[in-house]
Amino acid sequence: MDLQTNPYRKMIAMTVSSILKEANFDTTEKEVLGTLTEMLQAFICEIGLLTKNYCELSGRSEPLIADVILGFVDMGFDFSSLEAYVKSGKHTILPALQPQQPQKQLNMLSAGKKQTLPSHIPAHFPQFPDPHAYVRTPTHKQPIIDYESVREKAAAQKKDVEKALTKFLAKTSATHNLFDTEEGNIFPLIALKPPYPPYLSALLPQDQIFDPEDLDSDPKSLIMQQQKEHKEAQNAREEKLEEPMEEDEQPLNDTIKSEDNAQSNAFIDNPYLAATKMPSKDIIDVC
Amino acid sequence: MRQQKTGDTIRPFKLAHQILSLTGISFDRKSIIGFVELTVVPLRDSLRILKINAKQCRIYKVFLNEHHEAHFQYFDPFLDVCQSDTDTRSLDAFSQNHLTAALKTDPDNNAGELVITIPPEASHLVAEGTALRVGIEFSLEQPQGGIHFVVPPKDQKDQKEGTYAEKGVHMFTYGHQNSSRLWFPCVDSFAETCTWKLEFTVDEEMTAVSNGDLIEVVFTPDMRRKTYHYSLNVPTCAPNISLAVGPFEIFVDPYMHEVTHFCLPGLMPLLKVTTRYMHETFEFYEETLSNRYPYSCYKQVFVDEAYEDYHSYATMSILSVNLLHSAVIIDQVFITRKAMAQAIAEQFFGCFISMQNWSDLWLNKGISQYLCGLYCKKSFGNNEYREMIHSMLQDVVKYEEEYGGIILDPSQPPAPLPVASNMPQTNQNKHEEKFYFSIRNLHTMSPMYIEASYKKAMLVMRMLEHRIGLELLLQVFNKQLSLATNAASNKIGSGLWGHMLISTNVFTKAIFTVTGKDMAVFIDQWVRTGGHAKFHLTSVFNRKRNTIEVEIRQDATSQTGIRKYVGPLLVTLQELDGTFKHNLQIENTVVKSDITCHSKSRRNKKKKIPLCTGEEVDMDLSAMDDSPVLWIRLDPEMTLLRSVIIEQPDYQWQYQLRHERDVTAQIEAITALERYPTPPTRAALTHTIENEQCYYKVRCKAAHCLTKVANAMVANWAGPPAMLAIFRKFFGSFAAPHIIKQNNFQSFQNYFLQKTIPLAMAGVRNSHGICPPEVLRFLLDLFKYNDNSKNRFSDNYYRAALVESLGNTVTPVVSVMAQGTPITVENLSAETKLILEEITRLLNLEKALPCYKYTITVECLKAIRKLQKFGHLPSKPTLFKSYAQFGHYIDVRLAALECLVDFVRADGKFDDLSYVLDLLENDPDSGLRHKLCQILLKSPPFKRAYKSRLDSPLLVEKIWTNINGMLSHDTRHRCDLVDLYYTLYGTKRPLCLPLTELSGLMNLTRPDIKKIKTAIPKLARADNPDIKKEQHSNIKTEIKEPVVSNVIVDNNLETPMNVDLIDIEDHQLKEEPMIDVQVGEAAMPKQEYFSDNSVSLPGMGQSGPVGFEPGMFQKDGDGSSTGSTKTKDKTDASGAKIKKKKKDKKKHKHKHKHKHEHKHKDKKDKDPNKIKLKEESMSVPALASVKEETLSSGSSTPSPNTASVGSGDLSNYP
Repeated sequence: MDLQTNPYRKMIAMTVSSILKEANFDTTEKEVLGTLTEMLQAFICEIGLLTKNYCELSGRSEPLIADVILGFVDMGFDFSSLEAYVKSGKHTILPALQPQQPQKQLNMLSAGKKQTLPSHIPAHFPQFPDPHAYVRTPTHKQPIIDYESVREKAAAQKKDVEKALTKFLAKTSATHNLFDTEEGNIFPLIALKPPYPPYLSALLPQDQIFDPEDLDSDPKSLIMQQQKEHKEAQNAREEKLEEPMEEDEQPLNDTIKSEDNAQSNAFIDNPYLAATKMPSKDIIDVC
Repeated sequence: MRQQKTGDTIRPFKLAHQILSLTGISFDRKSIIGFVELTVVPLRDSLRILKINAKQCRIYKVFLNEHHEAHFQYFDPFLDVCQSDTDTRSLDAFSQNHLTAALKTDPDNNAGELVITIPPEASHLVAEGTALRVGIEFSLEQPQGGIHFVVPPKDQKDQKEGTYAEKGVHMFTYGHQNSSRLWFPCVDSFAETCTWKLEFTVDEEMTAVSNGDLIEVVFTPDMRRKTYHYSLNVPTCAPNISLAVGPFEIFVDPYMHEVTHFCLPGLMPLLKVTTRYMHETFEFYEETLSNRYPYSCYKQVFVDEAYEDYHSYATMSILSVNLLHSAVIIDQVFITRKAMAQAIAEQFFGCFISMQNWSDLWLNKGISQYLCGLYCKKSFGNNEYREMIHSMLQDVVKYEEEYGGIILDPSQPPAPLPVASNMPQTNQNKHEEKFYFSIRNLHTMSPMYIEASYKKAMLVMRMLEHRIGLELLLQVFNKQLSLATNAASNKIGSGLWGHMLISTNVFTKAIFTVTGKDMAVFIDQWVRTGGHAKFHLTSVFNRKRNTIEVEIRQDATSQTGIRKYVGPLLVTLQELDGTFKHNLQIENTVVKSDITCHSKSRRNKKKKIPLCTGEEVDMDLSAMDDSPVLWIRLDPEMTLLRSVIIEQPDYQWQYQLRHERDVTAQIEAITALERYPTPPTRAALTHTIENEQCYYKVRCKAAHCLTKVANAMVANWAGPPAMLAIFRKFFGSFAAPHIIKQNNFQSFQNYFLQKTIPLAMAGVRNSHGICPPEVLRFLLDLFKYNDNSKNRFSDNYYRAALVESLGNTVTPVVSVMAQGTPITVENLSAETKLILEEITRLLNLEKALPCYKYTITVECLKAIRKLQKFGHLPSKPTLFKSYAQFGHYIDVRLAALECLVDFVRADGKFDDLSYVLDLLENDPDSGLRHKLCQILLKSPPFKRAYKSRLDSPLLVEKIWTNINGMLSHDTRHRCDLVDLYYTLYGTKRPLCLPLTELSGLMNLTRPDIKKIKTAIPKLARADNPDIKKEQHSNIKTEIKEPVVSNVIVDNNLETPMNVDLIDIEDHQLKEEPMIDVQVGEAAMPKQEYFSDNSVSLPGMGQSGPVGFEPGMFQKDGDGSSTGSTKTKDKTDASGAKIKKKKKDKKKHKHKHKHKHEHKHKDKKDKDPNKIKLKEESMSVPALASVKEETLSSGSSTPSPNTASVGSGDLSNYP
């Protein structure tokens, strides 16, 4: 098996055979051929290895003929007759090594047309695989983003969530029945538990969550502020035309006002905010 | 004309100062221990008797100048209104007795529940003009009225023990008109003003909010409690004194630091939002009246379970917690701001300026509402204001036409007209007698009447504005305020305090001084006479003369609530060339007038038409006749109290709706157009709904009107259901009109329209009388696609409106099934299933995620009731009963009760009715009781004089017991029940009770048994005329030992009561004779018991005489000679009656005595434990009637529920 599969070994075997033919052998036993092939292979390997070592020893990466000679010397092999042998010229020339035929892909497995390699990639690089290996094929529908269906979907989702929640709650707590019979009550009403205090849950609703901004929003002050800004802008425009003196006054007034506000906020004279007094002697007497 | 004694002059003394100190306020026991000291200035030296108001208080001691203990008597006639009259069950008689009872305690009648006799040894203290200090020690035990403790129910308290703050425990005072006597002894008159010192000792974590300036807060020596010291230096009358104690969160108004707001824990963010613009209200009033706010501070307290939405007291108002809202709520804002503005207006007129007589109430109410109206006009706009006036006028007209003319000031008859002799006088008398209650006292008037009279007062004030002009009217107010401010800064000695009281006469004079106009006739016409005018206008166009012949008739002058009007009347004609006003003089019931038209008819000329506002508009005149008149209006400014019926062709109404700029005219046109279901009407209404320039309420009304028009036009209605296209145009999204846009409520007009149109559409019916499936689908889609995620406002009201619409689509079931088969899920129709699914889902969702005020739950309940009513669901009350329980949110409870009342009316059993009545009697929330009664009045369980299975003597007794004695502590509720009684039975004896005269012949039912029974104590009494005197002498001993006497009285009552009850209980008792036997037997021991007791013991059931005190008998004499002459007369009279009755009864007895003895024995075996509270109470007043007149007991025994509860605690009192 090895003999057939490995092209080098095959070549060596052929070489051994041709040498044997030169030496006028007609036939050889398979085992002998195998042994000789093995010996030749070992010899070539050894010589190659030594050559490489000598080459590297002398700091090169490519061996010279000298390295080969050194290798022969090192092995103790007399190679003087080699030249004569080569020059005798009666050797059969081995056929060139046949490039191995790539295994033919079966038609049924190829999908689509293979892409050719782009110019910047050297031709020796492997070919592209079949397109199906890298082309993304959409496997789901594109989302529909028109208004109507988005609303539809949002509505359905909301309803489902609500339904699931109420169903769960209805199953986990006591219910009222709108009908006389108990069976098949598909419209259970959750019995209510009185909250205490009753007004808290009613006045602080939880059905929606609002931005704190909305909860604090003061439409009137917003409008006022806008008006004020508008006025200020106008004033600024007007004042630009007038003398610079007045321009100074305006911000001054403002600062005074804001200070006033700040002060009043800091100290509010309201009896309910005052501290509770300690009992005085008189009051103890009265008590 | 010598005027009678007024409220401020009738008493023989003046009040200078009063100290009120409440020390032991206990939330656990719901009790209060307190002390008051009244500084009284006698007006004459001979003053021996002081009459003071006090109710349900337990009085311990009365001191004069701290040294002399004075003797006192106490009685409360409201504990048994019909004293001797035990068998009549007619309101005719009750109304009389009710008035008598009210007058007996009316401080403005120089009367009072508490009669203090100045002992002779202290007589030297009394001198004209010298201050006399009267100190009274008292306590309150679980008060039933006047003061309300909000404490979580017991069972819940076990679950979580928390601090008061965590539990939101608080208390506050309330009352109907002058009811401060319910929580402290005082002169409970609007006319008796004095300065106040108020002290309240409360737990450390509590805040006590009261009238006047908070001087200081001081810890008690044990550091566990603190005392709030208030001082009110502006003379104020007792009804304007109030108190609220609770773990309040305090918010000082950032704009006005004198103003402080209080709310319950957890509600601070809402409080800040709610009170955000309050300072503007103050500024507005101060500017308008050009007078400063009269007090130095103002406080607003928001409390739970409030008696009414708001009540203004001196320097503070107590408001309902349900007025609070966050910034994302729209609908509530209008209501809340109006309520707060009204409360502030009442600070000026109502608190600062009090009134001379209660009958001057209309002035303060009228002026404050008028000011509040001006504020509303400024902040909500003129359209809102006009619409409000219009609806008020309609309410007044409706009330007057149903019940009779409202007389704002009944204290004085109108001056007789010089021409028509005393026509108005007789007129008035006639009107007055029509009412089933007396309008002569605040404590007998129906709450409905009072409410309507407030509205009328406001309207009259507005009429005055039209007569004398806004500026001058404000000057009159300014003058009153200036005088009062001046008076307030003086001491009592200056005698100027009278300026702080307003009265009809004073006001009329002030108008005269300021304007030079004598308004006496106006006052006589609209204030001292009841009723309104009713005009009927028809017109014909005379082409030849180019005139319009107008005929104004007043046909119905003899009808209830309507009277003839004489005087000028404005008629406005809109012609092609403009608006023309014509002042017609109304002198007769029929007035005809030819008005020459200014413009000629010109059909096809294109020219703009000028309107009353001056603008010129294009009109499509093709619909017109050849008359140049486009529309006619009568009294367009509402300067009279009137109802107007104008007859004009439909196209004129349509023009009026399309082009008249006045909202009232538009509203009237809409009302009129209901009668003309034609395509042009449809076009006009559609135009109005779509018109963005139009006032939103008009647009909403037009929508509802279009529903009716569409239903009337069902046969030839073309196109999709009414308003579907309009709704889609306004609210459908751009890409898909059938899907509603995401909610955006920035424009309130559109918001209200968005709420209203689905509601209006739900009323549409097709030719089969059912709601078109398209509409139902449309509504369900609105639910489905509702998306509030991008909105800055809450959509809870909108969703509630959708649920309501869904309910409105329901029509009576068309069932193929046989009658009587039970309704099950399987045989519901597809539509019902869809509706039900939506409702159950929303209702269930509310449990986890409640919305503001549970608006959706409220509407879901109503929708379920509709489904039940129309046979889609089995009619069952259980669901509503559970929602109606105490502990739920009030709006939910009210909705459930509304459904329950509706159920009772349709298929209720007596049990269900008594469930409702039990709530009506016993619910802890007084506000709910009142509203429940209003619901009952709106849909009474059965119609008067119709046979009903619910109508039974038991029901009569139940209501009667309440109005006769059980509700002495809550005037409003008592009068509410009188209203209910009237609605069910009229003023005569209920038909379900057999006539008294026939009782011998007919089968006897319960009430007559009652009569016989109750006669017994009197029998005893008549036999022992001495009792009275004995009891008088007993006073002292009872004062000494109030607790003991109380218990004993109870014991005393029980013995005879059992006898009573045995047969009262028994409904099967049919025949009189056997009862009589019983009576005979039962009466004997009782008689003995009483006479023995009263003869031997002065204490009327006291175990033994505690001892006589010097001066005891002397005082006795005093009492009967001066103080109680009136009551004595009364008892004498009744005594005579009783004797007569007794004789009758005796005759009966002898006749039948031996016939049915065996039967009677059976009855006696009945379980006496079945005694019901009601019956018990019934007999209490009956027995009490014996003693009431004469017996003065230290404790008032307000009702049997509490009479003996907690008496043990009291003995701890130092």
